[in-house]
Amino acid sequence: MNTNKKTMIEDLERGLYDIKDNFDYSYKTETGLTPEIILQISEQKNEPVWMTEFRLKSLQIYHELDVPPWGPDISELDINNIVTYVKPKTDLNNTWEEVPNDIKNTFTRLGIPEAEHKSLAGVGAQYDSEVVYHSIKEELVKQGVIYTDMESALREHEQIIKEYFMTCIPPRDHKFAALHGAVWSGGSFVYIPEGIHVDIPLQSYFRSNAPGAGQFEHTLIIVEKGASLHFIEGCSAPKYSVNNLHAGCVELFVKENARLRYSTIENWSKNMFNLNTKRCIVEKDGLIEWVSGSFGSKVSMLYPMSVLKGERARAEFTGVTFAGHGQVLDTGAKVIHAAPYTTSVINSKSISKDGGKAIYRGALKVAANAHHSKATISCESLMLDNKSVSDTIPALVLLNDEVDIGHEAKIGRISDDAIFYLMSRGLSETDARAMIVRGFVEPIAKELPLEYAVEMNNLIKLELEGTIG
Amino acid sequence: MNTAKHINREESIRSSTSHNLNTLPATTYRWLKLNQLQLEIPDWDSKHSYHKEFLKNGDYDINEQNTQDIVLKKMDASLLLPNHIKASLAKKMEYGVSKEVIEECERSYNSGVFVQVGKEKTILNPIRIDYALDQDNPQVTDFNLIYAEANSKLTIIMDYSNSDNSETIHKGATQIIAKEGSEVTLVKIQRMNDKSHHFDSIFSTVDYNATVNYIQVELGSKNSVTNYKSILNEAGKADLASIYFGDGKRTIDLNYLMEHKGRRSISNIQTKGALKDTAVKTFRGTIDFQLGASKSEGAEEEYVILLDKKVKSNAIPLLLCSEDDVKGHHAASAGKVDKEKLFYMMSRGFCKEEALKMIVEASFLPTIEKIADHELRSIIQKEIHRRLMNEKL
Repeated sequence: MNTNKKTMIEDLERGLYDIKDNFDYSYKTETGLTPEIILQISEQKNEPVWMTEFRLKSLQIYHELDVPPWGPDISELDINNIVTYVKPKTDLNNTWEEVPNDIKNTFTRLGIPEAEHKSLAGVGAQYDSEVVYHSIKEELVKQGVIYTDMESALREHEQIIKEYFMTCIPPRDHKFAALHGAVWSGGSFVYIPEGIHVDIPLQSYFRSNAPGAGQFEHTLIIVEKGASLHFIEGCSAPKYSVNNLHAGCVELFVKENARLRYSTIENWSKNMFNLNTKRCIVEKDGLIEWVSGSFGSKVSMLYPMSVLKGERARAEFTGVTFAGHGQVLDTGAKVIHAAPYTTSVINSKSISKDGGKAIYRGALKVAANAHHSKATISCESLMLDNKSVSDTIPALVLLNDEVDIGHEAKIGRISDDAIFYLMSRGLSETDARAMIVRGFVEPIAKELPLEYAVEMNNLIKLELEGTIG
Repeated sequence: MNTAKHINREESIRSSTSHNLNTLPATTYRWLKLNQLQLEIPDWDSKHSYHKEFLKNGDYDINEQNTQDIVLKKMDASLLLPNHIKASLAKKMEYGVSKEVIEECERSYNSGVFVQVGKEKTILNPIRIDYALDQDNPQVTDFNLIYAEANSKLTIIMDYSNSDNSETIHKGATQIIAKEGSEVTLVKIQRMNDKSHHFDSIFSTVDYNATVNYIQVELGSKNSVTNYKSILNEAGKADLASIYFGDGKRTIDLNYLMEHKGRRSISNIQTKGALKDTAVKTFRGTIDFQLGASKSEGAEEEYVILLDKKVKSNAIPLLLCSEDDVKGHHAASAGKVDKEKLFYMMSRGFCKEEALKMIVEASFLPTIEKIADHELRSIIQKEIHRRLMNEKL
């Protein structure tokens, strides 16, 4: 086999993501997981009793549940070596000036304050276990929009939190949801009142700096009747030689006729176990749009779920996964059609190279009452060499006959014909391949918010420039 | 699941054991309950036997010493297999609905055949093997071995049915070895009664330039669990065409695996079905491109027509890939009969039932037409027709 002909794409240029800050903290727990550690976290946060009890109950469930027997191997992850709570050396600030310099510099490098200034209606920035910065435009506050960190939300809006917290993803869902319930810290709370349209996106950025630590942020978004929101989530971490863990929870509630677009670019370092859980409950006529880019982490298990609970509710999922050397990215989407006339569209693309494993794992269930449901699933995989692996594991469960379900998956590499054609048009082989890869992910790039699309294109461009024909 | 009034004395003595069958090559979420089928299999002791003649005495007299063209014998422990065939069987292969069922078939079979086709020989007439189970012959445990020497050609048709309405069971294992350039076509028709159980496993090894065609027709049984696995070596070709019709309380569980090991190998899975009443169907189909299977192509398609509100249709088509220079494609779709087609047919004067029936039958026809036996083709068509109209008439 002539390996010279293969496009050699270098690993994602991680430059700015990999810059580490000194590991400086005001408080951290011991490694491991004991009721004492849970109590310490809860005490640090000065939480109401019900939350402390919730944490302890979740810990108990964590010990009862087993690690999923399917999917990637995560035996390397040892929770006893993970620090579950690291409080950075600052409190929550409302201006960047108050944020300590090194932390501020990190977020500046990541372009957060700049994006805030230009194109965001609100920003939350989490550093390790706590949110260090939160802001929201004055006019939104006047309209009754709440955008704050989870800790403040728990103090100021305790009733709402108590009503919704981990009801969408109960701790019993799986082992890492239970872990999250026990040690969660940080994250954002968003409440959009009835009929309010937030035209400019809100963004939360999660940065994990401490080595051997876990990040367990909780995001709770409620979009009331007829309201709309675009929420952006970004994540990154520098690379350490020890394993880090990210087990966040994202709970979204889309009420009648409301719309929510949830965009994520995940670029964790390659020592990160990303075992995140995301779920959305969509009421009548509501719409959830997931836009998801998975580039980083050592192992990812991430399957955003949409529960279409009300009639005519809709879900759309657009995702791209890029697995490079040493990465196992097991991602996909789950949709439950639980009401009549519901619609879902899943569009997933994956690229694997240099020994990376990209796995699409999906599930679609149409309940017995969900007549006239429609669903389309399309998965495309591109393999750049034969050291890599690409699997497609979709599941379809239909309990109703009045449905229209289609699923399609394709796998392969860049066709020689396409390369030949482009080369006959004067492009070099490398440029031709690069152009095809960019074209492959373009439908996803189009769905991303502009600055993220630029970021993704840069990530891919940097790799393609390093190609050897 | 027996309700009290259905249990008669004989049945109450019987016990059954829960088995995990048809496990997926790559497992997924447990809450879907699709990783395997959990099913009670009746524990029947081996005294249940099958005395009827199952080899249709046609062109091949098995009592006579066979000619070089073909060796066709009933499977027997005293059978002296040629050394090269023994050698290719020596490697224990993992296949089948479950390890236990396969072991039982290979060890304590009560029927089955050994077929060896000579080099460069083409057997024109299909070999027919017919089982008709009944109260006195309630169990078929068949073990079949089909060995096609280089450039030979052969068709075997196996038909499983009942001649009365008693509860019967079929467990079977069939191994096909298709040597260089040979072509083996295996047709399996299952139309057992609604009380019976059917567990069938087929394993084929496809060598250079060889072709194995498998045609499966699933019409009967209370529980029908079938498994097909093909190992494709260089330039090997495996073609699978199956149809199923699930009505009543039937459970149909299909597990197909195409393992591409060699270069330029080609696989194709085409499954079409219809579900009626409260039937449950699970389709598991996997194309596995292993490292070294460059320039291979695999395609898989399942299309199911849903005819009733209470049917349950599961599909999990997998595509596993460790080789970049391949083309893999799978598609699954499910829905009601196309409204426009229905409307057109009705505008031509057919009543709704009849139009419906014709559309379902038409989707089965391409597969049925592949069966090289006129008599069986019309039996299958009549059976589907009868069952489709049953409720309406």
